[in-house]
Amino acid sequence: MIQAKRKMGLIFFPAFDWAISPTHPEREERLLYTQDQLLEEGIFDIAGIVEYKPDIASEEDVKRTHFCIPDVASVTTESHMISAGGAIKAARLVMDGEAERAFALVRPPGHHSMKAVHGNRGFCNINIEAVMIEYIREHYGQKRVAIVDTDCHHGDGTQDIYWHDPNTLYISIHQDGRTLYPGSGFLDELGGPNALGKTINIPLPPMTSPEGFLYALDNAVLPILDMFKPDIIVNSAGQDNHYTDPITNMNFSAQGYAILNDRLNPHIAVLEGGYSIQGALPYVNLGIVLAMAGVDYSGVVEPDFNEGAIRQEKSVGQYIEKICSQAVENYRTYAKKPSKNKSSGERGVRQKNIYYDTDGIREKQMESVMVCNDCAGVLYIETVSSINPLSVGIEIPLGACNRCRDEGLRMLKDARQSGKFAHIKLINRRDREYLDY
Amino acid sequence: MWLGLDVGGTHTDAVIVNEGGVVSSVKVATDHHNLINSIKAAFTKLLEKNNHTNIARINLSTTLSTNAIVEGKTEKVGVIVSSGPGINPAFFSCGEQYHVIDGSIDHRGKEVKTLNAEELQRAVEACQKNGVKVFAAVSKFSTRNPSHEEHISDACTGADFITMGHRLSGNLGFPRRIATSYFNSAVWRLFNSFADAVEKNLADLHVKSPVHILKADGGTLPLSEARHLPVESILSGPAASVMGISALCNISADAVALDIGGTTTDISLYADGEPLVEPHGISLGALPTLVRSLATRSIGIGGDSAIRLSDGALRVGPERIGPSMAEGGSVPTLLDALNFAGNAHHGDTVMSKIGIEKLAQEAGITPQKLTSDAIALAVKKITDAVDSLLKEINDKPVYTIHEMLEGKVITPKALYVMGGPAHAFAPLMEKAFRLPVIVPEHYLVANAIGAALARTTFDLTLLADTERQKLIVPNIGINETCDRNYALEKAKKDARSYLMSHLKKMGIAIQEHDAQIVEESSFNMVGGFYTTGKNIRVRCQVKPAVEVHLHSGGGR
Repeated sequence: MIQAKRKMGLIFFPAFDWAISPTHPEREERLLYTQDQLLEEGIFDIAGIVEYKPDIASEEDVKRTHFCIPDVASVTTESHMISAGGAIKAARLVMDGEAERAFALVRPPGHHSMKAVHGNRGFCNINIEAVMIEYIREHYGQKRVAIVDTDCHHGDGTQDIYWHDPNTLYISIHQDGRTLYPGSGFLDELGGPNALGKTINIPLPPMTSPEGFLYALDNAVLPILDMFKPDIIVNSAGQDNHYTDPITNMNFSAQGYAILNDRLNPHIAVLEGGYSIQGALPYVNLGIVLAMAGVDYSGVVEPDFNEGAIRQEKSVGQYIEKICSQAVENYRTYAKKPSKNKSSGERGVRQKNIYYDTDGIREKQMESVMVCNDCAGVLYIETVSSINPLSVGIEIPLGACNRCRDEGLRMLKDARQSGKFAHIKLINRRDREYLDY
Repeated sequence: MWLGLDVGGTHTDAVIVNEGGVVSSVKVATDHHNLINSIKAAFTKLLEKNNHTNIARINLSTTLSTNAIVEGKTEKVGVIVSSGPGINPAFFSCGEQYHVIDGSIDHRGKEVKTLNAEELQRAVEACQKNGVKVFAAVSKFSTRNPSHEEHISDACTGADFITMGHRLSGNLGFPRRIATSYFNSAVWRLFNSFADAVEKNLADLHVKSPVHILKADGGTLPLSEARHLPVESILSGPAASVMGISALCNISADAVALDIGGTTTDISLYADGEPLVEPHGISLGALPTLVRSLATRSIGIGGDSAIRLSDGALRVGPERIGPSMAEGGSVPTLLDALNFAGNAHHGDTVMSKIGIEKLAQEAGITPQKLTSDAIALAVKKITDAVDSLLKEINDKPVYTIHEMLEGKVITPKALYVMGGPAHAFAPLMEKAFRLPVIVPEHYLVANAIGAALARTTFDLTLLADTERQKLIVPNIGINETCDRNYALEKAKKDARSYLMSHLKKMGIAIQEHDAQIVEESSFNMVGGFYTTGKNIRVRCQVKPAVEVHLHSGGGR
């Protein structure tokens, strides 16, 4: 019998009875062949790997993280609550010491879901990693968390949620936004005034091979993690960088994903995208599970793997070297010191136009954050969309200073008095109040 | 009338049962070195007392294969596997001759790489050179496409017996398939000579009734079938007692059953009155197999569990050093403690008292405290084990939102206790579990009754891939084509009729409603943005059940 080096919890929830639509990539069958492969390999018989049922996330778990317009029930289904609950279960296993590592192999995914939610974009409704991380912070203290997003698409939702949080490092490796949805995730997207440098994007050119991905890991991701010194590392384990993925243009492999997870050694991995359900997912997931559990993964190879066919061009390698050194330089330059452009008490303002591709919703946002030396700063988002009238969300962040808390409560009072908002949402992490008006 | 025989650790019990209850029962000592002698003795004793012309079936629960495997007294096997990508197959090495051949089949059953004929030839030759006469042929995903196993099997020229993995179970689990195939071949010769001896013995007694063996899932298999599936006979003991309780008690709700023996207590669960089946298969030692079984757990607490002091701490079990002092042993046991405390009145209670008092003196506590502590400890071990089995079953992962939201939770409403010290334990269990406790009548031969009344079980998995136009039912050797319009309803109908006709071939007639569909799914397979076919999976079973219920009334 095989013995895992690290005790690992696996939350496998394929949601065999849920799909966005019958032929949509995010459909019932997505994890069917992964289940077959894991069962046939005997993964659940490895001593040290234990399978667990997901939790079901509560409405409060979602309200702690998102402004759901008009409310949580309208933008989620049971499947989303179970998927987020799967991530929460993974976190609880690790935080309670029941497992050293945990992998939430769940669907639907979440990393395109932003702070304010009007519907589904990029196959995501709620951000399951963010719901999980905020669950951890609510129950286990304000940890320093690093999210390494290895999905092929830029995790614009996760980036948006943690844009202002100095205690969360978000690093995304993805296909260059000029060539793929959602069209963002460039080097110069570095985080808000209170968290500059805590968002790091590594946009890789199309046709990057395992060599390029592992170069970025070794020369950008790992050095930045060393500097950030996180308490917890989370891998947003999207698998659509695979050379067989039907909706992307990269050349990563199952063996490469396994090596990446071995070196990154995340505490928690959460499945994100990946739509080559027969050619990639069974092998990539197997590789990730084995790597996280510390079991030999050298035999995990796709049946049609051909190293020569996916080798990257020399110019691609040179370009990646440049990107990586710039990303590290960005972290060094910005993450160490607070913004010089603005002083405490000023507002950092962003205007955003957001398109929900799955649901065809258009949203307009005005976001402002209080620049603050003492906390993540009170956040204020006015949002209007093609399906919801003007609404507002106010967040008093975890560990908010007195000034930001008072300011948040004042903004709430003003918003209620103004009468111009259809929905008013308050996230008050300091006093654990999640209110709707 | 039905005849059941259960070979136990110390005794072999045999009973004849009819609709009215137990007609006759006998008990003989088990001779571990010659099980057939024990069986012969039990048959002879039982049949000389009874007219056997109308015995409908004889069911045997025997430890033959289990003991042979546990004691390593098995034949050497040539295990030849083809694995393809994945976990290194060297991890699953078993048997004297284990060979991995290049070649692979994927999860859809497509051949990715043909078997390497040269490597295969070399492997077979190496086995033959080492005097190997029985083989196991196993490939990854052979339940989706058995061609590699068939190819390996064809290459094993001159073999006496070959197990092909896909014929054992439709379940996935390559490591389990390897272990199960290996065990099947390793005990094949032994089991067949046992079957010969049983048949000869019955012929000598002029008994013509069909003979079945009991399986770990509480069902039976005709001896003629068991001759090529001998692995199905492993670990049937706990199943015999579970089926015995089913026969003796009218269980309709969720319940727990405890069979408290000399060395161990077997725990089993019932959901809505039906014994719970382990979905993946039972483990033999540390090795998980594909042999379907009931969900049972065994813990090292029984009437003969030794009570000892170790570093000042009181210990009960898991060792059995000998019988209780009440029965002439040298070390006080749990039964002696129950005797002392007045819960039991078994054997020489004076000896129990002497033993307990001596140990209490060594421990520097009163004998009353010693016995109450020892009994409390034993009860706690049992309650903990029941709780952990319940938790495990209730936490079992599910894969659909529907099951997640509607999932059944087992909440026991009653506790059934059997085995030697059943009556002594009953009041203790009632208090510990806060549940009504029932000790069934005939509880001392419940195992043999369970064996006698168990019915044939069977299960199969039908897989249809309408894109590849393939239909396969691996364990009964169906491997056909299906058309592109093949659909779930037809698959369910076919699964039932395949199962019924297979059982008919074995001489067993069942009603259509006994062929129960337990899992069904139909996934649209999509290529690009178009549906290219359906992936249909249906699992059909005849669940464990007893011929008749004998609940003329439970004891207490």
